[in-house]
Amino acid sequence: MDKLLSIFRPSTGSRELRRQPLFTGMSWLVLLFLYAPIAVLVVFSFNDNRSVVRWTEFSLRWYAAALENDDIRRSAMISIQVALSATVFSTIIATMAALATTRGGVYRGRSAAIALINQPLMIPEIVTAIATLAFFSILRQLTGVTGIGWLILAHTVFCVPFAYMPIRARLSDMSVTYEAAAADLYATPWQTFRHVTLPLLMPGVMAGAMLAFVVSLDDVIITLLVAGPGETTLPIYILGQIRRGVTPEVNAVSTILIGLTVTMVTLTFFLQRKRK
Amino acid sequence: MIDVKNVTKRFGEGQAAVTALGDVSLTIPEGSFFTLLGPSGCGKTTLLRLIAGFELPTEGEIALDGESIGHLAPNNRPVNTVFQNYALFPHMSVARNVGFGLEMLKRPKAEIDSTINEMLDLVQLGEFATRRVDQLSGGQQQRVALARALAPRPKVLLLDEPLSALDLKLRKGMQSELKRLQHETGITFVFVTHDQGEALAMSDQIAVMSAGAIRQVGTPEEIYTAPQSRFVADFIGDTNIVNATLLGFDGDAAKIKFGEGTPLTVHAASTSLSPGPVHVALRPETIHVVDERAETALLRGEVVDSTYFGAGSQMLVRLEDGVSVHVQVSTPRPVGSRVGLECDTSMLHVLED
Ligand SMILES: Nc1ncnc2c1ncn2[C@@H]1O[C@H](COP(=O)(O)OP(=O)(O)OP(=O)(O)O)[C@@H](O)[C@H]1O
Ligand SMILES: [Mg+2]
Repeated sequence: MDKLLSIFRPSTGSRELRRQPLFTGMSWLVLLFLYAPIAVLVVFSFNDNRSVVRWTEFSLRWYAAALENDDIRRSAMISIQVALSATVFSTIIATMAALATTRGGVYRGRSAAIALINQPLMIPEIVTAIATLAFFSILRQLTGVTGIGWLILAHTVFCVPFAYMPIRARLSDMSVTYEAAAADLYATPWQTFRHVTLPLLMPGVMAGAMLAFVVSLDDVIITLLVAGPGETTLPIYILGQIRRGVTPEVNAVSTILIGLTVTMVTLTFFLQRKRK
Repeated sequence: MIDVKNVTKRFGEGQAAVTALGDVSLTIPEGSFFTLLGPSGCGKTTLLRLIAGFELPTEGEIALDGESIGHLAPNNRPVNTVFQNYALFPHMSVARNVGFGLEMLKRPKAEIDSTINEMLDLVQLGEFATRRVDQLSGGQQQRVALARALAPRPKVLLLDEPLSALDLKLRKGMQSELKRLQHETGITFVFVTHDQGEALAMSDQIAVMSAGAIRQVGTPEEIYTAPQSRFVADFIGDTNIVNATLLGFDGDAAKIKFGEGTPLTVHAASTSLSPGPVHVALRPETIHVVDERAETALLRGEVVDSTYFGAGSQMLVRLEDGVSVHVQVSTPRPVGSRVGLECDTSMLHVLED
């Protein structure tokens, strides 16, 4: 009991906290529950057997099957189309928002603007999804426009705060002296942006874009409600398939998705570390 | 020629407002090496930023060669800056940094290239053209910053404490390098420093500032030998400041006396002072030590310290009213002895407070 309580004693400090057996144990438990299911999924995607619980032999047949499956290919294309478009739009918007909130001087309502941009992170996604569904139905009816544009629009909106965060972080770390120096050397505001601000901001923009891409690629709830007929993205397809039980094919597709996501997140991490 | 006319700069509003510059007027002659000298926080950087266009004056006007530029954006002023931390673009080579100004002005490529070469030769960095700026030493970065600011041939070059990040030896070298560059290019340099030695060594003219105001403008010699105010005398260095009584004026000359001594006629910084206690500046090298009882002694005191410095000695003499005075002599008197101090009255002058 004494040991247990001692971890709450401030005098022990963080170094001490790390050495507490309870702390170490908890950490391992968390990591286990976080990654064991993923490990199992990845392992069984290479299983030469229809079962997803009994291992027989290594094989790539489910990858082959997944790549030959027209539904999977179609939904993967849609996913990529939506994610790429949403990434481009949301990154542009996020860059402009970050410039306005870090370089526009102090103005009334700046904090409110930042809070508004980040709001989608706070609202439960299902609420946003239902609201978007209702709103878009009205707009669709009023304008008569249909198509994948609506899904891209919805994705763009919830990707903005994810793209915004790393871009803003990089901008506020960046000294304004570079921009002052450019202006001093006869660069117009646009030239300053193009030749100085943007190149220096690029690691932040890339990090933001990758986060946006991953978030869009992984989205289920909003897509489920907003997507029209024939606009099935990969996660939605997988969701539909597993209603009929988990198949090794789904495992294979999921592994590809995980691989993509992990690559992107790792790249983002290194881009952000390359600050200086 | 730069004309700063009644410029006031306030930061913030209402209660929290800070007046960085209060009604400053200044004329900077064309082609001169002009130094803004003053203690930290006196408004030197603010004045420079106003000339560069990074700040707009709250009140007043700035003109360059008769044309008002106070309201122009920085990119529309023929004025370039060497930033204190250099602010070289880290994603560009040395050459592209130097050519940046001309590139933004959309000059022909051939002209840009030849100017880059010329500028890099001028600062002796010819072989570094293709280097990245973070592969340069502090002193080299400094010179790239200079080359970059000089390349578009501005009418005015602003330098905000450009030497403060360099070590002493490099600093001395850069001081003469800057003088040479100013001489060779003929561009007006406005140089900011809080080091009076640097200011005296480099400038054609110095403006001494304190608390958002200009206290005195003059050549290094004028500032050194004839400081107008107690502040300038104190700031510029080793001048002695002693107490005296002002009796009145005789034309431009002031009549004063030390203690109960005989009245003397000396220079005065201003004829608007009222009779009573005043401060008088007395340079150490103009004082002669004589016998305490000598008729010619203006001041009397006791030697309290004496330091040998090679070419002579510096003695510290405590006067009867407790004020200490530095004196340079070739043969020092023993500590504890009483001496008289004599000096050329034409070298004395009364200070404003
Ligand atoms: N952007 C600003 N906002 C508020 N106050 C400022 C701002 N810039 C300068 N000041 C104030 O104006 C005054 C003058 O500042 P300035 O930077 O011009 O001094 P300085 O002479 O360059 O000093 P230093 O030698 O330390 O660089 C200071 O009191 C400073 O606090
Ligand atoms: Mg300063």
